[in-house]
Amino acid sequence: MAISRRNLLLASGSLFMTIKFPVLAAEQKPVVIQMRGTARGERVWFDPAGIAVAPGTTLRFINLDPENSHTVTAYHPDFFGRTRRIPQRATPFHSGYLLPENVFEVTLTVSGVYDYYCVPHEMAGMVGRIIVGTPDMEGWDETALRAGGVAENVEKRFPAIRQLLSDDPVRRIK
Amino acid sequence: MKTALIVMIGMAMTTSVLAHDESKITQAPPEKPYVQVSDVLPLPEFLPGLGTLFVDPGTLPAGPFLGYDHDGKLSVTVYMTPLEELKNGVAYDDLGIGSHEVTSVDIYYNAGHPGVESPHAHVVLFHDEGAKDRLAE
Repeated sequence: MAISRRNLLLASGSLFMTIKFPVLAAEQKPVVIQMRGTARGERVWFDPAGIAVAPGTTLRFINLDPENSHTVTAYHPDFFGRTRRIPQRATPFHSGYLLPENVFEVTLTVSGVYDYYCVPHEMAGMVGRIIVGTPDMEGWDETALRAGGVAENVEKRFPAIRQLLSDDPVRRIK
Repeated sequence: MKTALIVMIGMAMTTSVLAHDESKITQAPPEKPYVQVSDVLPLPEFLPGLGTLFVDPGTLPAGPFLGYDHDGKLSVTVYMTPLEELKNGVAYDDLGIGSHEVTSVDIYYNAGHPGVESPHAHVVLFHDEGAKDRLAE
């Protein structure tokens, strides 16, 4: 059966309308990400390890690990010569060493994928991913997904963006 | 004969003691070359389970680290041995010890921290029965 051009256009438009990315409301209060560790330091992690937020959201990192200090460091050449794994137009960030109860805040405005890590604990898998905005936004930059520059065991720790975009923060407990 | 035997035993014990005088490290702060770890690294002054740590930087990463309780009493000796180094054949021999009185030993994995920034084992020697409780928090 031949399909008219008009019907085809109507059908494709309807289909496009059904592919909706979640609407991320701009957060009025900072979104908190905790730095955690087991009592003896066997495991350390960011909680949540992955999250999706709207552009302009402030992320508040707080060290709740009484045994250790941690950093929040973007993968970027400006800090320790690392491969860039944040949007090109984004300002890289590095908290420095945060002692227990110390706080670090960063506001992310450029849409895309931001990968970051804890300097002394990267090889122990303490990394995180923040999705800012959605792929349909102008200037969306997902360079992180193909950038490499990390060890194989570290690469596996980054949450899939599909899960994060479905509004399901990834929490690595224990 | 008896005197000679006593002297020989004494000499043997002497060779196993740290180069420093143990009496000078039973109470914090220990003398140089020991430094307080929290003064030179971004770590809390008191680490639950380990206490306030001092180390001779020349003995890193293994130590020994001397751990003191809240009253400044030497409570543990800690060794930190990177696992990758051990796997690659590095051995940590003839390490010193804070006290020859050891009531128990804990050994566990640590993911890393400033100063020993790779996965390693903590080998913790407790120097009296109450040490673990005093260092708990």
